[in-house]
Amino acid sequence: MSAVARAVFAVEGIRCGGCARSIERALRALSGVESVQVNAATGRVAVDWQPDRLTLNRIFRAVDRAGFKSIPLAGEQASERYKQERRTAIKRIGLAGLGMMQTMMFVYGLYAAGPHGIEPELAQYLQVVSMLVTTPVLVYSGAPFFVGAWRNIRRKTLGMDVPVAAAIALAFGASVFNTLRGEGEVYFDSVTMFIFFLLGGRFIEMTARHRSLSSTEALARSLPATVQRIRQDGAIERIPVRSVAVGDLLSIPKGGVIPVDATLRTEKAWLDESLITGEARAVARVAGESLPGGAVNVGETINVVASSDVDSSTIAHVIGLLQRAQAQRPRVAQIADRWAAWFVAVVLLLAAAVALTWSFIDPSRAFAATLAVLVVTCPCAFSLATPAAVAAGTTRLAKLGLLVTTPDALERLAKIDTVVLDKTGTLTTGAACVAEVEMLAQLDQSQALAIAAGLERSSGHPIAAAFAKFDNPDVRVHDVREVSGSGIEGQIDGKRWRLGRAEFALGSSKSVTAADDDVYLSCEGAPVARFVINDELRSDACAATDGLRALGLNVVIASGDNEKAVRRVAKALEVSDAFSRQTPESKMAIARERQSRGERVLMIGDGINDGPVLAAADVSCAMGQGSAVAQSAADLLLLNDSMRTLVDGIRTARRTLAVMRQNLRWAFAYNLCAVPLAALGMIAPWVAAIGMSLSSLLVVLNAQRLASQRWAV
Amino acid sequence: MSSAYFLIPLGLVLMAVAVGALFWAVNAGQFDDLDEAGRSILESDDERDETTKR
Repeated sequence: MSAVARAVFAVEGIRCGGCARSIERALRALSGVESVQVNAATGRVAVDWQPDRLTLNRIFRAVDRAGFKSIPLAGEQASERYKQERRTAIKRIGLAGLGMMQTMMFVYGLYAAGPHGIEPELAQYLQVVSMLVTTPVLVYSGAPFFVGAWRNIRRKTLGMDVPVAAAIALAFGASVFNTLRGEGEVYFDSVTMFIFFLLGGRFIEMTARHRSLSSTEALARSLPATVQRIRQDGAIERIPVRSVAVGDLLSIPKGGVIPVDATLRTEKAWLDESLITGEARAVARVAGESLPGGAVNVGETINVVASSDVDSSTIAHVIGLLQRAQAQRPRVAQIADRWAAWFVAVVLLLAAAVALTWSFIDPSRAFAATLAVLVVTCPCAFSLATPAAVAAGTTRLAKLGLLVTTPDALERLAKIDTVVLDKTGTLTTGAACVAEVEMLAQLDQSQALAIAAGLERSSGHPIAAAFAKFDNPDVRVHDVREVSGSGIEGQIDGKRWRLGRAEFALGSSKSVTAADDDVYLSCEGAPVARFVINDELRSDACAATDGLRALGLNVVIASGDNEKAVRRVAKALEVSDAFSRQTPESKMAIARERQSRGERVLMIGDGINDGPVLAAADVSCAMGQGSAVAQSAADLLLLNDSMRTLVDGIRTARRTLAVMRQNLRWAFAYNLCAVPLAALGMIAPWVAAIGMSLSSLLVVLNAQRLASQRWAV
Repeated sequence: MSSAYFLIPLGLVLMAVAVGALFWAVNAGQFDDLDEAGRSILESDDERDETTKR
């Protein structure tokens, strides 16, 4: 028997079951195809095939010949695995549910007979039938508990599967024993019910986990498998996204996804970048701007030049980070697991103690009481309490546009008391603008700005961008000469104008006291105007700092910029703790100093050149856009450039922590009440099964509140 | 009471059929996406309009 490979790909053009069947027929006709599944709803085809008798290419060709377009998918393996997991879970629950109903019916016959009893043969018959129904439920549906318990025992740890497996095995064993010898209680109904409810709780937890993973999947799935490349001769060809190289000219139709980072070639484009930034509104981009891979073209067809290949594109990094975050278990969950292990040990000891005590008082009730203790205690609620909350909280944050890349970050984010903000690129957009104009000569302000813009027209200096919007084509500039580090000069209407630092523009006639970073405009050496160039404050910076303060946090600004610029921003935002001219080392010192006072510090930077600073903080957050951010090692990535998201994020993190605590408290309180009752023999095993399940369910549903949109952040 | 000896095995056969039907449905992907089918009827399907028009 040769090896079988599985390929999953999307097919364009499936509209009905008939199409699905014709694809299926076409593929089955190939020799070497083992099985074919076509899902008309999702447009996915799954083929099991033998690699030594067939190639994937021939499979694709067969689909194409049948009149459809096959598209290989990226990141499909993962979702295929979830699908299998889900299918198996549904089958297990279904079998357990049906088996539970049957056994309850049979056992009801035994119970309902009451003190008079039923004919012994009939009772025996009902017990045997119950056993026949329970056995497949135990073997198939109960398998995960035994597998889990066995894994725990082999690793010499105590997980929540151990008492569960012990309870099921004990109850089933005793019931079989009693059935065969023809006397004593049977617990087949409790066994099936216990398995059914436990599987139900786990199914909900699994669904929640898959949903939190589905954001990654949505990203991976959103990438097309092929893209249109415009060849040198102008012809358009369809190539796999994998083979896109830097410099390729790609044509993206309306509704198409830009698969790699690219530069816009077309004049203007409307893009939906929500997959990457969480920003729902379409953004306008103009020629020359760089576009993140994963953006959807919502306007007319555009041409872009690839600036990365598919593996190094922004979206690939974001997917990688998400996968990394999801693969790790947060510390809280690890602690919860350790506690659960202790809890399980206590439960097992307690069960043994109960069995021993009852065997002295009333041996006939010992077994039922022991079973009830094992079933009613709920390490499940303990073990689910934190992961369910973390998964739901992380999903919520991702929806907001805040990506959690390290699993502990959520918990630490909830506990911070100080926020240290970088200025450039964080509170400000990082783009220069003219903040202030002071006229030093008899000239119109707009004229001065137009002249400055004219001088800077051809310059690539960052300051030139500040003047660009004042440019007037009527201002004709000749003999432009740029003096590096000083300024720029040129001839306008036969006069020599200079724009730049005070000593350059004003030269010897230094009639004005020069502040360090201002830009001066001079005509023939005489001062004309003084410009204060600043970073533009983000529109939401003020609301964000207010929001942070409303959360009871200290806000600190630490910037590498000069004192005046920092003071201006600090004043606008009413922040009293502002540090200017900071080096990465001194920023770290600020964080350390705050930490030594017992404060927990959140550092926010642009994530590009402040790696060590971010690492020094309790929680770090990088903001900005593009691959630079995706490559940074920050705990959190603010993807939509909006500071307000951060405020919402902190609030969400705090809520997540609160839900986590509620869950743990509930699990504790429930066990505190239920265990004594069970130990005293006051709870029947089947009641215990229901109580335990409801407890787990409550914990999971409580966590799901976090992911729901109902509460406003 | 003898009817029970006949009817209960019959019930078991029916249960086996139900389990078989469920497993078949799950394997056929009936439970893979429970939301999409409900949503899809609300989505406009432009291509189909042409075939229904006469």
